[in-house]
Amino acid sequence: MSGPGRRPMRDASQARPPIHFGDDPLLWASWLYYQEGMTQGAIADVMKASRPTVNAYLADARARGIVNIALSTDHMRSVSLARAFEEHFGLDSCLVVPTTGGARTLIERLGNAGAGLVPRLVHSGDTVAISWGRTMLALALATRMDDVSDVTVVQATGGTIARIDYAPEACASRLADNIGARFVPLSAPAILSSRAARDLMMGEAVIAQQLAHLDKLNCVFFGASSLRPSSTIHASGFFESVFQQHDFYDQAVGSLVGQFIDAQGNPVSGPLSDRFIGLSLDALRRIPTRVLIAGGVDKMQPILAALRGGFVSTLVIDSDTAEAILRVLDLRPVHELSSMKPDPNAVRPSTLIRDSIKKFINEPRNSVIEAMEGALAAFPDHLQAIDGATRALGARRSPVAGKVGIVIGGGAGHEPGFLGYVGAGLADAVAIGNVFASPPPDRVLSCTRFADQGNGVLYLYGNYTGDVMNFDMAAELAEAEGIRTRTVRTTDDIASSAFEDRDARRGTAGGIFTIKVAGAASAQMAPLDECERLARKANAACHTLGVALEPCALPETRRPSFVLDAQSVEFGVGIHGEPGVLRQDMAPADRIVDQVCDQLFAAMDLREGQRVAVLVNSLGGTPMLELLILNRRVRQRLAARGADVHLTLLGHYCTALDMVGASVTLMAVDEELAALLDAPCDGFAWQRAGLGTGS
Amino acid sequence: MLSVLHCKTMQQLDAPFLIDFFHLAGLRLDEAREMLCVLDGAIGDGDHGSSMAGGFAAINDALRLSAQADPASVMRIAAQAFLAEVGATVGPLYATGLLEAGKRLQGKRLQLCELDLVLSGIADGIRRRGQADPGDKTMLDVWHSAALSAQRAGPDIAELAQAVDATARQAADSTRGMMAARGRAARLQERTIGHLDPGAASAAIVIGALCDAAKARVA
Repeated sequence: MSGPGRRPMRDASQARPPIHFGDDPLLWASWLYYQEGMTQGAIADVMKASRPTVNAYLADARARGIVNIALSTDHMRSVSLARAFEEHFGLDSCLVVPTTGGARTLIERLGNAGAGLVPRLVHSGDTVAISWGRTMLALALATRMDDVSDVTVVQATGGTIARIDYAPEACASRLADNIGARFVPLSAPAILSSRAARDLMMGEAVIAQQLAHLDKLNCVFFGASSLRPSSTIHASGFFESVFQQHDFYDQAVGSLVGQFIDAQGNPVSGPLSDRFIGLSLDALRRIPTRVLIAGGVDKMQPILAALRGGFVSTLVIDSDTAEAILRVLDLRPVHELSSMKPDPNAVRPSTLIRDSIKKFINEPRNSVIEAMEGALAAFPDHLQAIDGATRALGARRSPVAGKVGIVIGGGAGHEPGFLGYVGAGLADAVAIGNVFASPPPDRVLSCTRFADQGNGVLYLYGNYTGDVMNFDMAAELAEAEGIRTRTVRTTDDIASSAFEDRDARRGTAGGIFTIKVAGAASAQMAPLDECERLARKANAACHTLGVALEPCALPETRRPSFVLDAQSVEFGVGIHGEPGVLRQDMAPADRIVDQVCDQLFAAMDLREGQRVAVLVNSLGGTPMLELLILNRRVRQRLAARGADVHLTLLGHYCTALDMVGASVTLMAVDEELAALLDAPCDGFAWQRAGLGTGS
Repeated sequence: MLSVLHCKTMQQLDAPFLIDFFHLAGLRLDEAREMLCVLDGAIGDGDHGSSMAGGFAAINDALRLSAQADPASVMRIAAQAFLAEVGATVGPLYATGLLEAGKRLQGKRLQLCELDLVLSGIADGIRRRGQADPGDKTMLDVWHSAALSAQRAGPDIAELAQAVDATARQAADSTRGMMAARGRAARLQERTIGHLDPGAASAAIVIGALCDAAKARVA
């Protein structure tokens, strides 16, 4: 046929292709074949060419890259993952189903995929066992076979008293029904009250006869259970006392057929071991065909352990879990099929990826102290060191007698957060930790003593594990000194709302509004209860979402905190350089704002006529010019929704060192909150007229 | 718990031993500072190496300034020094763990092979303060496993140290396979799978220092 450099000429006798095919018979033939779905014979008629010519055109079109045949990425990913598993664990076969997609649940899809294998694995005359659980029930329900005879299905373990529809009896009897097999139950509990009771039970003729079937198994279908609190093994009440016996089983990562295994797949013995009736793990390993059907990332450890322990000859798993396991093993999927898609390295532009970031610092570990010394020098009218400490700072104007104290704090690296919000009408003192690390309790306590005027102190800080522990310890110490404290943790970041409730969210830039509201209330001499109520109300009204274009770098490491390639943006970032929750392709600013607004509007149920306060905040490295561009679209979207903007803040308010990115906070305000936001204040990062700044 | 009579040698679990341990742990954490920060950056906020190294440096400064004769006081001073310096997440956790270990050493003359008291004290304190459970992909996975390993070990100190060290490393490594359920990493859910937990990694370093300090006593 034609060589690579020479295009086949159209024979003069052939029909001319329509103009949009550019006189290219290859393209025309390919279009008719792949796009219009015509047969080669029909194409030959249209093109007035012979069938062999059409056939040659199509082959040439593929060779020249006019036609790319690609499997859908989901399917290709599944195949390459499955092959990696077969190779690494020496499996007979592996089937990977996509984790998401379609209307059915993951368990149903796993069960269906497993059911598809049953006709290949079960033959006339075989004895088959099945364990229990949701996935096994799905398998049993989805299996259909009517062309085998003399098959026996045995229950793999004794029964359970729990009322669950996926109990051992149910799974085995359903499977037997659906393949026309004989069903052999195990008429005994899976776990007996004692070893003696088990021995007695196994001696009973009926039980012994039933158990004998387990010795001649050709094939077993089983699931895996994790030990996490939500797993089947807890829900089913299969082992009521497992958790009282946790220490016996502390090495266990999961269970197979009702028995515990460790990370290497070794059986873990404990008090339950010699009270069990059913298929033992040793016996399981000897069965010729051992089909594990399990998925979901929470089951990753037991699945991996089962593979390592040699309990599996055929695996049915979902793609996310399979990928997670390969990641743990540091394996890559087999790439034989990857020649069908473009090599990602080939299209990557040769941009320099910096792995060392230049910074204006001296000795890295002194960065925070030196910065605070600089702040005290820069803002002497606003800040003073408490007891000479540079990381416990108080408002220059000593608190008004009888006023409720407001103490804020958190790690450094968020400047002007949070020391910029100390001053009249804002907070009275701020405790500062190391970069992105909570301040210790004694520093918070110093601030508490400074702020206390006898009417109690309100703690306001972002909801992070470290801050919670340190502030709580400080609160205990303060209480021992007779200082009343209350705590409001800010939880404005909506990025985590998909799987966590409001109280578990972290606090980000929206905390600025909460500090303002509480500070204004305390300046108006509201009592502690009222300050707390208003702070909670303000926090509940704040919703923030952050987007990063580039990661940040800590002074100590001077390395990017995570890797973000040239084409990606990270949605849902916080203010600590931590990765966000979703990575997406880079898009124009308006499209990014649209996505942020969609999520914020939904989270706060924003309606027409609602008044909002807006904060468009740089995460450190994004300049004002871009913040203004973002704000333009935010306002367009708010106008389209019919919301009124009461107040806009725009700039560096709460940063994550040098992270390039921005966050948008929307706060729903009513009369009460609006009045407090409008009240005068005087921190170096937020000033509102009505108060002088001179000392 | 092992009784004194079972110890093979008569090495004491005394203040100089604990001071040696803190010194060694401080050196190793300082070496690991950057590695731990990078680990933390992947699934957390990147401060872990600084917090641990800074905390142990503060412990060693405090111990240098005090001439403590009894092990319980050493632990108490260490706890206070760590907490006052660090804060962060590890401050309250390690401070509570060290205090709890100090309580268990209080008023006792102990043999070195009763090292399990130190490990289980720290493990229990950390668990109480952090409310985590084994399997949550935290430092507790390492402390808990190491404490159990020490409780089960025989009376030979070198063998005990070897076993505890190996268990701690393995436990740290197995956090790669876990999905974070506590702390900032928990928000990343399955994206944490495959990552070594930084708190677990530093716990294995601290436990390794404890084991090596013990081995040095009987070498």
